[in-house]
Amino acid sequence: MPNDEKKGGGPVVTLRDRFLVFPTQPIPDLSLPSAMAYQAEDRRERDKSVFALVVKPGIPARIPVLRLLKGVDNPGLMHLVEWGVADWPPAGRKAMIMIYMRPLGGRVWDEDLPNFKRFDEVDAVNKLIKPAEAALKTLKSIGVVHRAIRPTNMFWATPEKDRVVLGDCASVPPAFEQPASLEPVESALAIPAGRGDGYYSNDIYCLGASLAVLLQGRNIAANSTDEGVIRHKMVLGSYSALCGEARLPLALVELLRGCLCDDANERWEVDAIDLWLNGRRLTPLVPRFEKRAIRSFPLSGKEFMTARELAIGIYQNWETALPQLGESKLELWMSRALDNKDKAAAIAGVMGAEVTAIDRRMVSDVTIAKICMLLDPTAPIRYKTVSVMIDGFRWLLPMAMANNGDVRTIAEALMRELPKAWMETREAYSPDNSVMESGFRTQKGHLDRGSIGSGLERVLYEMNESVPCLSPMLLDDYVVELRDLLPALNAYAKKKGENPGGTAIDRHIAAFIAARATFDVDRLITDLSSPDASRSVMTMINLLAMIQWRLGQSGMSHLSAWLANLAKPAIRTYHNREKRRALEEELPRIGREGNIVELSRLLDSADEKGADYRGFEEAKAQWMEAYRQAKAIVDGHEEIHEEASRTGQQIASLISITAAFITMTFLLLGMIF
Amino acid sequence: MDFANPMGGGARKVSSTRMIMMLTMISLIPFSIPTLILLFAGMLPSLVAALTDRSHARYAWICVGGMNFAGLAQPLLTLWFGHHEVSYAIHQVTNIGNMLMAYSAAAAGWLLYFTAPPIVMTVMLATSKRRAAALKSQMDKLEEEWGKEVASRRQMEEEAAAAGEIDL
Repeated sequence: MPNDEKKGGGPVVTLRDRFLVFPTQPIPDLSLPSAMAYQAEDRRERDKSVFALVVKPGIPARIPVLRLLKGVDNPGLMHLVEWGVADWPPAGRKAMIMIYMRPLGGRVWDEDLPNFKRFDEVDAVNKLIKPAEAALKTLKSIGVVHRAIRPTNMFWATPEKDRVVLGDCASVPPAFEQPASLEPVESALAIPAGRGDGYYSNDIYCLGASLAVLLQGRNIAANSTDEGVIRHKMVLGSYSALCGEARLPLALVELLRGCLCDDANERWEVDAIDLWLNGRRLTPLVPRFEKRAIRSFPLSGKEFMTARELAIGIYQNWETALPQLGESKLELWMSRALDNKDKAAAIAGVMGAEVTAIDRRMVSDVTIAKICMLLDPTAPIRYKTVSVMIDGFRWLLPMAMANNGDVRTIAEALMRELPKAWMETREAYSPDNSVMESGFRTQKGHLDRGSIGSGLERVLYEMNESVPCLSPMLLDDYVVELRDLLPALNAYAKKKGENPGGTAIDRHIAAFIAARATFDVDRLITDLSSPDASRSVMTMINLLAMIQWRLGQSGMSHLSAWLANLAKPAIRTYHNREKRRALEEELPRIGREGNIVELSRLLDSADEKGADYRGFEEAKAQWMEAYRQAKAIVDGHEEIHEEASRTGQQIASLISITAAFITMTFLLLGMIF
Repeated sequence: MDFANPMGGGARKVSSTRMIMMLTMISLIPFSIPTLILLFAGMLPSLVAALTDRSHARYAWICVGGMNFAGLAQPLLTLWFGHHEVSYAIHQVTNIGNMLMAYSAAAAGWLLYFTAPPIVMTVMLATSKRRAAALKSQMDKLEEEWGKEVASRRQMEEEAAAAGEIDL
């Protein structure tokens, strides 16, 4: 929370009541493209030199990685001391802040600075490879893939510059800031936000690529386009692309070839680096190049000699590619020019399905995507404008949503089950793929439903626990966990004043709750989409009350006052007018107390509702009986004439006979006596 | 035994009883000629009423007859307890006062017959309106306490469709 404390003439942000961050004192030397570094201070240990990295809004930090890295002390890693969300005055909202031990020797490599002294063999081994190997070993032991190993994210730990530490890896999605030249080919082919969490082999490659740059004192791929670098790597291998003809220390060539091996399965692992450091020399890996065709495949004016290059060409000419592949041209090229009859048969199967399809446009896109997968199984999933690794959807989607990206195409790719198609083109079985396929099937179910609490928003939060709630109501906040939700809504209600109106649970918040709640909320989430306004409002209150009760959070007076205002339609679920009046008088008081649970109990008590229902049913029966009787009376007005006539005549007859009888009797008595 | 008409014996029995009664009455006629003369002449309005009354219940001739008989009671008793002779009966018949009394009474019978039904109808209407008002008041109170929804619109519509709309 920003407090009144001042240092250097500016406001101070306090993180977890311990660390002071000074927004007016940035540190460009330690900043990253998506996270600015600022001066910070540890109030408990003032002599400890720390700095803060503040993540830019709209970029999800890797929360599980932060949890795992906090407190990890390793000679090759920048020490993460603390992390958390705090108000950030320069942005006027909350931001993710990470406190790191400050590396005292500055950045290892800065592209903008000339006269960089390149690493020699001894420096490379002692100052870089050894601490980096230790860091990678530790990362592997805790299950973290760094995905941000590059020269510009390496820092000298000491003023003497005797040890390099790997910089922050949690402030951005995996490999988001990595230059394509330093990434393995398959990762470089994906758009930066969709490179995915990757595997440990990715870190090994990046270490090798960084080492190549530092040994040469320049990045020879820097002047080429990403496409050019990738093509070079594909044709001649990564070692050639990154080291060229440079004369590198012979001992390190073995390491570089091992780390820069383009086949991830053959690439060195951290244990191999350990062995290498301990003096065990291995045979350098010989690069294996992709098979070239005996004749090229023409596509949109270009000639392609390998299947992988052709896949890139198809992706770059998405709209016009399919007609050029038809009439069995691609199959024939695969079987004759590349002598790969199995792939040719697979492509024929995919193309055959396209011909018989009803919705040609939709199937065409899926067909192109599948052809790309068959041509280059290691490449990302490509679909229209999107190129994303199978584990990159979870990062690409939030980045696209938060930054108004092409969300529709990503959703289409998921809806059309491209991840499943990707799994089907794998050449070997992997248990990880089965788990992922099951996950994607679940996400497709959410997409199919589309109601509030499902849809793309649900997929967003289900796939990635690092994504903060992107509801427009919570944009100024940073709600990553369910326990942050009610305070954030309370703050929103406070900011909006007496009656913010609208709804307290929009599509994003509903999906966020459904994805993050560890207790059963499915029925309530379903009821949120009830067409009955009073029912849905009541469900909203019950849902928030359940969260408050489960998490034991109190003092939500602004939120409960807002809910009390929104609850007015819910009062109408009671039939008894007297009860309604009583509730209307009671609501404001409960609202001020900040107790949503009490509010829910007041409005949705099963006993009260039952009594009201029974009373209403009884009243309905009474009303109906009265109505029937009244109707019988009115209907009887037409028959009453006949009845009155008959009765009148009967009475007249009776009077007449009685008169005769009385007259006769009196006369007889008169004569007798 | 007549299996085709098991009631056949009963019908013959009724016919024979009626026959016996008619014979008995015919045998008594010579002894009641004066009474019959007086009754015939004095009860002519009742005879007319009996012949003209086409209603199912035939209350008109009962009503007229009763009053007519009451008006003729005095001369009839005088005949029975005085001189039960034909000449005296004719004397009574020709007495203007006796006949005027009998016929006036018959007229009163008609009057009674025609005025009683409207009076009864007025009373019945007043009673039913008061009952309907009480029911309407009860319905209004229920609606005030439970809202308009308490009037089960669907049931009302079903009933209205079955029996035509009503206006309370």
